[in-house]
Amino acid sequence: MPERIIQTSGLTKIYGEVTAVDHLNLEVDEGEVFGFLGPNGSGKTTTILMLMGLTVPTSGTGKVGGYDIIKNSRDVRRIAGCLPEAAGYYEDLTAKQNLDYFGQLSDLPKPKREKRINELLEFVGLEKWKDVKVEKFSRGMKQRLGIAQALIKDPKIVFLDEPTIGLDPQGTKEVRDLILRLNREQKLTVFISSHLLYEVQQTCSRVGIIRQGRLIATDTIENLSRGLAKEEGYCVEFELDRMTRRLIVEIKSIRGVTSVVEEGGKLYVHMDRDNRAEVSRAITKHGSTILLMKPQEYTLEEIFLRYYKEAR
Amino acid sequence: MAGAMTVFRKELSDHLGSKRYLILFAIIILLSTLSAYQGVDYIKNNPNAGFLAIFSGGRLAFSFISLMTIFGPIIGLALGFDSINKERTSGSLSVLLSYPIFRDSVLNGKFLAGVTALASLVVSTIIIMCGIAVPMLGFGPTLEQVASMVALALLTILYLAFWLSLGLLFSVLAKKTSTSMLASVAAWLFSVMIVSIIAALVANLMVPLPFQPLGSPENFRGFGAATQTEEYRALIQMRSEIQTNISRISLSNLYSEAASSILGIRASAFFVALGAQQQIRPSLAQGIAASWPHALAIFVGMLACFVISYMRFLRLEIRPGG
Repeated sequence: MPERIIQTSGLTKIYGEVTAVDHLNLEVDEGEVFGFLGPNGSGKTTTILMLMGLTVPTSGTGKVGGYDIIKNSRDVRRIAGCLPEAAGYYEDLTAKQNLDYFGQLSDLPKPKREKRINELLEFVGLEKWKDVKVEKFSRGMKQRLGIAQALIKDPKIVFLDEPTIGLDPQGTKEVRDLILRLNREQKLTVFISSHLLYEVQQTCSRVGIIRQGRLIATDTIENLSRGLAKEEGYCVEFELDRMTRRLIVEIKSIRGVTSVVEEGGKLYVHMDRDNRAEVSRAITKHGSTILLMKPQEYTLEEIFLRYYKEAR
Repeated sequence: MAGAMTVFRKELSDHLGSKRYLILFAIIILLSTLSAYQGVDYIKNNPNAGFLAIFSGGRLAFSFISLMTIFGPIIGLALGFDSINKERTSGSLSVLLSYPIFRDSVLNGKFLAGVTALASLVVSTIIIMCGIAVPMLGFGPTLEQVASMVALALLTILYLAFWLSLGLLFSVLAKKTSTSMLASVAAWLFSVMIVSIIAALVANLMVPLPFQPLGSPENFRGFGAATQTEEYRALIQMRSEIQTNISRISLSNLYSEAASSILGIRASAFFVALGAQQQIRPSLAQGIAASWPHALAIFVGMLACFVISYMRFLRLEIRPGG
């Protein structure tokens, strides 16, 4: 039974009149790569800030690694690493000096610190650049330094807030591979916030969808899309050599068919369950030939757009 | 104080290696060297003046005290004005605070590092000035004069620390470094210039002097006579008192007065403005007694700035990037 590493109940943050996070109940197990998915301004960053003790919740409580995020926030910060959104480093210090400062802040003794810094620089592929000032770094390099920074205290869990934002495809892939390696090789729990569906799909074992501060779904991506398909029903695209009005009426009368739409010489048959056999039998009985039959699948993007709309 | 020492060490090495600090240090060393030469010159021409006159004497009314009164604030502000908001905009503050340190450690560490940098600047300046003056004069300070120098150094460090904490306050209050820089410049101008101008104006309104057109020959001849009358002297005295009291709003003037008392010079803002000074040579104890309320006022100012920054910083919402 994996341990529950994040648990919040009724976590709420109100900025003035804006409710950034609204009664959030979130559970993340140890060893997961959890994706926190939501559009910009939906409360992802605020949630991470509250979990890390960088901002105080208006109401509600939470625990990270067994420590209360309000009363024991220093203990939380001892076991949780964080790569905040738009993180910055000390530009006139080298990569190594930056990491050394963060290592000191994590109370690592000098020999252990040096060993850890060298390991991490190698892990993120910056060992060649360790004595170069950070001001000379590209965005991708800074982000990799940020991951090294989040790992220096040897955390149980890392929070990565939009880790690939503003990176080119190469940089994105590097960061994504690092995240997966972390989870696989070091059994680290990773909490990623993102609005990029593809990224979440590539890396995360489970996702939570947040919209306007509310958690509207939590599950694996497959389950989420399956659940949506069930709700939305099943749609099959047919291409026929001959189409008549009578045929359409006939298909409509088949059990399970909810609607039939003719568009651009094609038929889109919506059903509440898979009843392709009966529909095709009806078509052949009518004397038409099926040239193409293709079940329509929702792209992930459509699924999540649907989720956002639904919650509105 | 978890983390405060780490922040302190990092900030101090940042300061000591920063171009900003080195440039200001170079200017101060250059100017104080010049003022030490002038002081030596003054002592040679005034047998009554003691060793301490190297810090106050000078034909151009330019001395260590006036240097620190006017340039000191710039050094203090320069080390403080962007210490928090720069990290806020760059995003390193949210990274820093995700470590197991208390939030106040950040402020304490930064403040202590700034004070240490300022103290090393003040102490080394004083030592360099003595190093120049002693061989030229052929004699050194007495023990009491050394004690006076220590008191002067402490007062100067306190005065610069006030400006540091004001800079720190601006850096907590303003999100942008450009805003806090402008606020710093405004505060500096207010303290070293505007208050004195206002004081002079008010004094002139309250106690106008009899009208004397400048340049007319009979007036020029009569000027000496007119200034000798009791009535005229009383007027001047009253004006100077009003002016001094008003100018005490500015901590710069307080510092200048207190530093002068410690060195045994009676130099009110009014006399400093005239470029004149009167050597009265009281004991160090008297000097410290006279400067004590001033030092206390500067200390309270420093504390107030620090406490407000502290309270604001603890409640600061750390949204990355601004």
